[in-house]
Amino acid sequence: MLAKISARSGLHVFGYRGYQSIIRGGHVWYQIDISEEKLLSHQEGIDILVALNQDAINNQKSHLRENAVVVYDPTKTNTEILQGRNLRFVKLPMLDIAMKESGNPIMRNVAAIGAVLGLVGIDISIFESAITRMFTKKGEKVVSENIKVGSEGYKNSEVKQMFVIKGDKIHRHVIEGNAALALGAYASGCKLYSAYPMTPASTILHWFAEHEGNGVTYKQVEDEIAAINVTIGAASAGIRAMCGTSGGGFSLMVEGLGLAGMIEAPIVVVLSQRTGPSTGLPTKTEQGDVLFAMHASQGEFPRIVVAPRNIEECFKLSSDAFNLADRYQCPVIILMDLYMSEHSETTDAFNFDSIKIDRGKIAWQANPAERFKRYLYTDDGVSPRSIPGTPGLEFIAGSDEHDEYGDLVSDAFSGIDEYVETRRKMMRKRMNKIETMLKNEDVFHPAITNESAKNFLVTFGSTTGAALEAAQILNSQGMDFGVISFNYLMPLDADKTKKLLEGKSLIDVEVNFTAQLAQIIKSNTGIDIQNRILKYDGEAITAEQIAKEAQKIIQNK
Amino acid sequence: MAEEIKQVQKQNYKSNVKPIWCAGCGDFGVNAAINKALSDLGLQKSNVMIVSGIGCSSAMPHTFSTYGVHSLHGRLIPVATGVKFANSDLTVIGTGGDGDAYGIGLGHMLHAARRNINITYIVMNNEIYGLTTGQASPTSMQGAKTKSTPHGNLEVPENPIALAISAGATYVARAFSGDPMHMAELVKNGIRHNGFSLIDVFSPCVTFNDLNTYDWFRGRVYKLEQSGHDPKNKIAALEKSLEADTSGWEKVPIGLFYEENRPTYEDLDPVLKLGPLINQPSPSKEQLDKIMEEYL
Ligand SMILES: Cc1ncc(C[n+]2csc(CCOP(=O)(O)OP(=O)(O)O)c2C)c(N)n1
Ligand code: SF4
Ligand SMILES: [Mg+2]
Repeated sequence: MLAKISARSGLHVFGYRGYQSIIRGGHVWYQIDISEEKLLSHQEGIDILVALNQDAINNQKSHLRENAVVVYDPTKTNTEILQGRNLRFVKLPMLDIAMKESGNPIMRNVAAIGAVLGLVGIDISIFESAITRMFTKKGEKVVSENIKVGSEGYKNSEVKQMFVIKGDKIHRHVIEGNAALALGAYASGCKLYSAYPMTPASTILHWFAEHEGNGVTYKQVEDEIAAINVTIGAASAGIRAMCGTSGGGFSLMVEGLGLAGMIEAPIVVVLSQRTGPSTGLPTKTEQGDVLFAMHASQGEFPRIVVAPRNIEECFKLSSDAFNLADRYQCPVIILMDLYMSEHSETTDAFNFDSIKIDRGKIAWQANPAERFKRYLYTDDGVSPRSIPGTPGLEFIAGSDEHDEYGDLVSDAFSGIDEYVETRRKMMRKRMNKIETMLKNEDVFHPAITNESAKNFLVTFGSTTGAALEAAQILNSQGMDFGVISFNYLMPLDADKTKKLLEGKSLIDVEVNFTAQLAQIIKSNTGIDIQNRILKYDGEAITAEQIAKEAQKIIQNK
Repeated sequence: MAEEIKQVQKQNYKSNVKPIWCAGCGDFGVNAAINKALSDLGLQKSNVMIVSGIGCSSAMPHTFSTYGVHSLHGRLIPVATGVKFANSDLTVIGTGGDGDAYGIGLGHMLHAARRNINITYIVMNNEIYGLTTGQASPTSMQGAKTKSTPHGNLEVPENPIALAISAGATYVARAFSGDPMHMAELVKNGIRHNGFSLIDVFSPCVTFNDLNTYDWFRGRVYKLEQSGHDPKNKIAALEKSLEADTSGWEKVPIGLFYEENRPTYEDLDPVLKLGPLINQPSPSKEQLDKIMEEYL
């Protein structure tokens, strides 16, 4: 709510839930960064702490900046452990206000929001109009109670305008990564989302559940094996479909991924990474599944792996994923992580008009003289597919190796010369798609900022925002940094990538232990980035942390 | 056998792909019964999609000139479910083995039954893993000697009929490959039935199962239709489903155990009930703009 109100007043917002536990009982907090300029990552340090309980004060005390404001409820919390520090305090009887104005203790959050708005100097009228917009559906009583409680908090915040930030009056949208991704799919003709709940992908399922309709449905199925195979069935029957999960569920999807590769079913799979193998840290982030996503499944087949770098790309790459899947009839994996999935960011309204749907090669006309060759040998590797229901173009898609018709060359026939040749040709046909992708799509290489810089941070996906801000910090300290960031990881245009990286002073920045991007770069280009900033404690890396480490590396050179 | 099979064929839905089954394999009878059911129903080839798993029996779709997917071991139900979600106008038939259905894929079968999605699932139950050359399957008899149980199977066989009925399947039948005419009727009615149908077929593996042979079944099976069984009675159906077990496989009922009219998943889903997803328009610009506004 605070994020929305700030965005409405023309400010930029970056929100990130730093939770420990998804069930009740753990310490839960939400960090919102508000700024006059676009924020690309979450910041370190707290200017305003709203402590709804004692845990908040105890756990966050080390993160409070000099001169920070602590908003606390004198009836619920005490600030003794903070005494003696250079802090400012706002005593706000949040619970009393909530009870008095609404009789509902949960409303104390709204009193706190009112107080924060007072502190940063956002006009109360913006709060009122935002509340009216948000809650009109729930009835007038809810609206008026929220406004009363919020205004009371605003009045009670004692010290006004401790931080003054001014918005530019442009009404901005605030959206979470998973919602942007889901909307990208929804707007691009994805008609079915199938999943089994797993943090941090579950909110995609919730999003589809909330937005079911307009020719789009979703299904919570019995496990992730079902989720991907339902998606393959739906794609085989001609609709755009997607499934999503985290690493554990993706592990179960692996065989299905190969099925999609073999029968050339265009599917989109979301893999939102969390920390560690097995159950790991279920509510924490990491970029540790990159190589897994690229190599999951036995055998070899073309696939595309993309990793959105910001909220706009969550939307755009999800939309593009469906065109790529249809054009190349292969699985496309969208590599998210908890940080990218759950953070929220201000953005302009997404541009739905810019979406161009390309279903790729589809056969509609039967040739009565010939049986349809679903897997016709073609130079570009893509064979026209038919949509079940179309008369005369029937075929059986075989997960065994098959010939141009889809008939098996396994079991009874494998080893016979003719079929050895069929395997060779069919394999080459499928694999040729990779070359076609690289030739036709100008996306399989990284982007560069500040091209003439002396040093570069090299990173991908969700760490890009922090790297870009780290470069700003470093440059403001008199250093010369640019950023090279990847959003497409597979396939890679090795030549273009090499040209961009060659001869530069590079520092690899990743949220994992084994520097998986650096491994990919090395295997594609031979360039071995030795300087590395790696984080694997479950927390997303910040610009400050990157800048500090990069500075050390440069100084030690 | 060959004569009986020829007899049941009318209109041909078969492809020119020669089945890879051993001579005498029970799956030939199933193939004939499916062909007869399709032709009796007069279904258009292009509107039929046959989905299989992996196993000897899962080669079934290739023998037909319809649409189909020969998918993964144990996963035909989710694939078939996806097909049905996408296009409920298609007649979706699942064909696979007992290992596929009741071993690796059992979970999916029970959930499909519960969901009552309109799929007809024909399981060729040979009480053995055929394709992998003769290991015990979940329906192998206790004591059965197979490659993986040389000293006799320790486990009792699973009861797919009882499981399917209790899980919520709305058409549950059992057939015998040695009687393809009877089977064709069950398949036909299973396809006609609006909801999840399981047709378990005793389909002897003449190569790897020398216990559950045609003769073995012939001496044991009897038809429920001739025994006064009421397939609308769930308790009676469950009782009948236990008879093979309780009689020590002396009396083995085949035919329709249970039939119920219950709305299918597609009937209940607020989007699917409006018609095949594939024919529904995608969200309009106005609808998308409205969603975008939620984030203001
Ligand atoms: C995941 C996986 N595990 C194992 C196999 C090997 N496999 C292929 S078919 C089969 C069992 C076949 O038995 P059944 O399903 O009863 O079919 P049948 O051959 O008897 O008709 C197995 C274990 C496989 N293909 N995939
Ligand atoms: S091995 Fe058994 S199940 Fe397989 S084809 Fe031969 S007889 Fe049929
Ligand atoms: Mg079997």
